[in-house]
Amino acid sequence: MRHFLLSTATLVSIGGAALAQDLPQASSAWYESGAATVAQRLENQPITTRAKNVILFVADGNGVGTNYAIRLFSGQQAGGLGDDYVQPQETFPNVALVKTYSSNGQTPDSAPTAMAMNSGVKGKNGMINIMDSVAVGDCAAGAEAGTRTFAEIATDMGKSVGVVSTARITHATPAAVYARTVNRDWEDNTLIPEGCDQKDIASQLIDQMKAGVIDIALGGGRAAFLPDSVTDSEGKAGKRTDGRNLIDEAKDAGAQVVFGEDDFTALTMGNNAPVLGLFESSHMKYEADRTGEPSLAEMTEASIKALGANENGFYLEVEAGRVDHANHDTNAYRMLTDGKAFADAIAKAVEMTDPNDTLIIVTADHEHGIAFNGYCGRGSNILGLCMKEDEAGIEHTDEPNLADDGKPYTVIGYLNGVSSVLTEQADGTYSGSRPDLTEEDATDIDYLQQSLIPMQSETHSGEDVAVFARGPWAHLFGGVIEQNVIFHVMNHAVNAE
Amino acid sequence: MILPAALLLGHALPSAAAGEDAIRLRDLYNKDLSFSDAALEAEGKRLTVWGYMAPPLKANSEFFVLTNRPMAVCPFCEPGMPWPDDILAVYAKRIVEVIPFNVPIEVRGVLELGDAVDAELGFYSKVRLVDATFRRV
Repeated sequence: MRHFLLSTATLVSIGGAALAQDLPQASSAWYESGAATVAQRLENQPITTRAKNVILFVADGNGVGTNYAIRLFSGQQAGGLGDDYVQPQETFPNVALVKTYSSNGQTPDSAPTAMAMNSGVKGKNGMINIMDSVAVGDCAAGAEAGTRTFAEIATDMGKSVGVVSTARITHATPAAVYARTVNRDWEDNTLIPEGCDQKDIASQLIDQMKAGVIDIALGGGRAAFLPDSVTDSEGKAGKRTDGRNLIDEAKDAGAQVVFGEDDFTALTMGNNAPVLGLFESSHMKYEADRTGEPSLAEMTEASIKALGANENGFYLEVEAGRVDHANHDTNAYRMLTDGKAFADAIAKAVEMTDPNDTLIIVTADHEHGIAFNGYCGRGSNILGLCMKEDEAGIEHTDEPNLADDGKPYTVIGYLNGVSSVLTEQADGTYSGSRPDLTEEDATDIDYLQQSLIPMQSETHSGEDVAVFARGPWAHLFGGVIEQNVIFHVMNHAVNAE
Repeated sequence: MILPAALLLGHALPSAAAGEDAIRLRDLYNKDLSFSDAALEAEGKRLTVWGYMAPPLKANSEFFVLTNRPMAVCPFCEPGMPWPDDILAVYAKRIVEVIPFNVPIEVRGVLELGDAVDAELGFYSKVRLVDATFRRV
């Protein structure tokens, strides 16, 4: 109550100051919306009841820069200039910057970052839910150094647990919900060295389903669950060389297993049977290419419906796994369309849940080597060329800015990647110049934005990401935090007295 | 994965390459990976397709795989890396002179549709360009 009174007093003070100042800009729409934002923020009150449900949204590789690009893309798709668009998570009252470095990496990969969020401690690049006292790949030491995950804590509280990803369900970010591994690449049995007793990630998922920890798992990655002698529903061979058919094992354990949009739609939810959805042999399709498999929003909706039947609540991690992959390809089009699909999934969760009992956290695991050119006029297509500002108006002039080489350039660029302007010559040296470019070329679905340093795959960066939150104890997010703090907020929220 | 075509790698493909019989790799398929009308109409005809040369599976061969996006790593050489769905098997007239994986090329040859397995490499393909020549764009 004391906080509320203080807020009201502050509101009166600010409003009074503005009126008293009689500023000439006070009638501007910018001025009014700025004041309205402050008034709205003064109304924000922390929710300090125990969280029944926690939903952790992670878009892989969606740092502050990538999130900015997705905002503009979504806004322009909606017919606006883009930069004033508000994504669903950007309406949340609490935001912080997150430091994503790992125990041994200034630049993290997705394994230790997912571990930080699911176990509350940072780890080494390449390992998932294994303490950083262990060397990567050390099976024996790793067996003694596993963490206890938030999913297991939630299960002990009687909650249900789900994990959803558009990447392989055995990929690092989803795997951190249910697995412990000294090597993130051990998704099936084939790469585990002889004499190592650690189970591969796919078999750990089935174990966790049998143990009652995982209730729903939806994503790609069928091949890691099938023997190499068996082909899947789309004619692609499994990868396992130990003869195990984990899909049959899941069915034998009572799980419903689905492979495409039709059987996914026909699922019977809420009957206490675990659900395993494996919609591709490897990663699910990019949103721009999607056919015959559910969207991230549809998987999120189905998961919330099913998990929400548990009166004790649930923990759900939802990953947009391929924002990262498209960034790795320097293919902004698919990065942006998958980013919009991520926002659609968040919107669905916002619509389906009550902020008084459900903590929703939206973040990324790391950023990429993405960057933005200037000086672009407003409304420059985020996929296209950086157009000149119109000094007499608002929207750009439709005339591209030119670099010193006389050629136009796109808004988005990458510091490194396959699209380097330097290519290998016949003598093994690297050289080149920027190719000519039109707006039509740059906005094509398959265009790769120009990059500088030649690399076989564009890299992550160690730059901060954002975290947005609403619901119980979301106000604990603020300032600049370490990534493992996300776990501690979730843990506090579900245990608060 | 869809049939994205000759990925426009930081630049436009020159219009001079876009003759009447030129086709983009993505134009060979529908979204569900069935053959497009354009592919069915071009079957048996000589045409030009844009893309990238994946690192060859075998040295001194007439065979290579055209990819829609630059593909640095040979999927057969790296355990666990599946080929994307949107590839085109190319049988060249001559021994292939390797071009870096991220340099756009145009390939001209006769379009063959339908399942086939390479007798020597065991490589399965749904669509091929045979009797082909190629060059940097």
